[in-house]
Amino acid sequence: MVEGPFGIDPVLWAVLRLAIAIVLVIALIMNGALLLIYLERKMQAVMQDRIGPYHVGPFGLLQTFADAIKLIAKEDVRASQTDATFFIAAPALVFSPMLAAFVVVPFAPPIVGADLSIGLLYLTTLGAMGVLGIVIAGWASNNKYALMGGLRSAGQLISYEIPQILSLVTAVLVLGTLSMVEITELQPGPITNIFVLPLAFVTFFMAALAETNRTPFDLPEAESELVAGYLTEYSGMRWGTMLALTEYGNVTIVCAIMTTLWFGGWNGPGVEAFPILGILWFTLKTYAFILVFMWIRATLPRLRIDQLMSFCWKGLIPLTLLNLGVTAALLLAFPDTLVPVAIANWLLLGAFALGLPALQRRRLRRIRARLGAGAMPAPRSAS
Amino acid sequence: MLQLIEPFMFGLLTVSILGAGLAVVLAPRITTSALAMAFAFLNVAGMFVLLGAETVAAFQVLIYVGAITVLILYGVMFTPQQPRAYGLFFQGQTPWGALLAALVALPVVIVAFTFVDAGVALEPGNDLRPLGTSVFRDFAFPFEVASLLLLAAMIGAIALVRREREIEEPPGAPHDPQRRGPRR
Repeated sequence: MVEGPFGIDPVLWAVLRLAIAIVLVIALIMNGALLLIYLERKMQAVMQDRIGPYHVGPFGLLQTFADAIKLIAKEDVRASQTDATFFIAAPALVFSPMLAAFVVVPFAPPIVGADLSIGLLYLTTLGAMGVLGIVIAGWASNNKYALMGGLRSAGQLISYEIPQILSLVTAVLVLGTLSMVEITELQPGPITNIFVLPLAFVTFFMAALAETNRTPFDLPEAESELVAGYLTEYSGMRWGTMLALTEYGNVTIVCAIMTTLWFGGWNGPGVEAFPILGILWFTLKTYAFILVFMWIRATLPRLRIDQLMSFCWKGLIPLTLLNLGVTAALLLAFPDTLVPVAIANWLLLGAFALGLPALQRRRLRRIRARLGAGAMPAPRSAS
Repeated sequence: MLQLIEPFMFGLLTVSILGAGLAVVLAPRITTSALAMAFAFLNVAGMFVLLGAETVAAFQVLIYVGAITVLILYGVMFTPQQPRAYGLFFQGQTPWGALLAALVALPVVIVAFTFVDAGVALEPGNDLRPLGTSVFRDFAFPFEVASLLLLAAMIGAIALVRREREIEEPPGAPHDPQRRGPRR
């Protein structure tokens, strides 16, 4: 009989380990969501010159806990014309892929759920699975707004998956591995991947904003046109699971991917001596990105659906494809050094940043020319 | 006891695949069928994991659950929802169906019971490189031919649904620079 850790039978240990891991991750997600909501409200309050939550607890810290208790204690409301099974199944279908994604997140050298050799692919896969739940939620609600929201969301998620995956592929070409732990170990020093592949990072960042339904891509929840999108019929903890837990969990996952791939993950001063310090660096880096997400939400207005789609299909996808092609060609031509790749990436990023305003101005000029001088502005068609 | 986990998982996955497959055929509603199909795909991915082919499992979920099922659900949603019309999907053609199923099942059963152990068993989690080399080196040409076929199908689909003449849209208002006019 092989002894497992702590003298426990290995079979029991496998079950026990799974249970402990699930409890830990659920606690992480729940507390993370509570704190992130508080952080988001405070951040927006600061940016909009308000105070934000301050009644419950010191600095309003307990406000989101009170909200969570309210959500859990709420009556379970379900409209009679909804599709019972799917309506109840949808939050689970949205939530569980996000939960499963935490398995491969490398917090610190000793703290990784599983070092899968295909970690990054696994994360992408789970990101794609969430769409199913959203479509089901929109359809099962038997509500036009919810259906529109669900369909929009599915279209948006499927479209933005392509630039997201293409950016990841570009990074993986340079790194040569899909394992999250190996990716982190490849970037020990201050020169992390961001200096080599800035454009892939920028395109991934934009696609990630869309994938997590954050502003300026939060069309599925556009309250001025769609009430609350696919969440319209949900209330109580189902709403809480779908919106709060899943949205903030997905934001955390996406930011963790960015941290790992481009910013060296757990690497930081003192990690060699105390590997557990990695948690600190990893969390700090991840939360820095989450703060940028919140900053963007407080700053930018929402895009329209046709703008969103044309930006993805005519802007991001060709750009990421070009980036992938250039990177692959340069890696083949210069297998020993990453300097040409880095130069090309920075140049492409510059062209993208400078070219976008120029293109916008040209289009604006063309629209003005077509309208003519004295033409009445036509009423906007609904889109 | 650890050795028992794998057969147990295999049995669980097999029962789930068969059950989900039956549900796809027998469920009274088309959305239930679509979801059961997604469940069957997930279980097939589990089978791939048991075989040590994690990458194939990941692609199975990515493509079949993440894309194909969603597309099918789209199709269901844009189809008029009339309870009576489902009769069209489930006609009582049991004898012919049984005959066809038997014709398909026979070779499967023969292969299954005469199968010898695979020559090379992969170490779990190491199928990424063999898969990559076989797709992009050994079978690069068939792979490219398949993608050409898909491209042709996509162009064909776009050509089929394309309108000949765009209806004249009102041009964008001057205060709205983001407005996309009709394609010229």
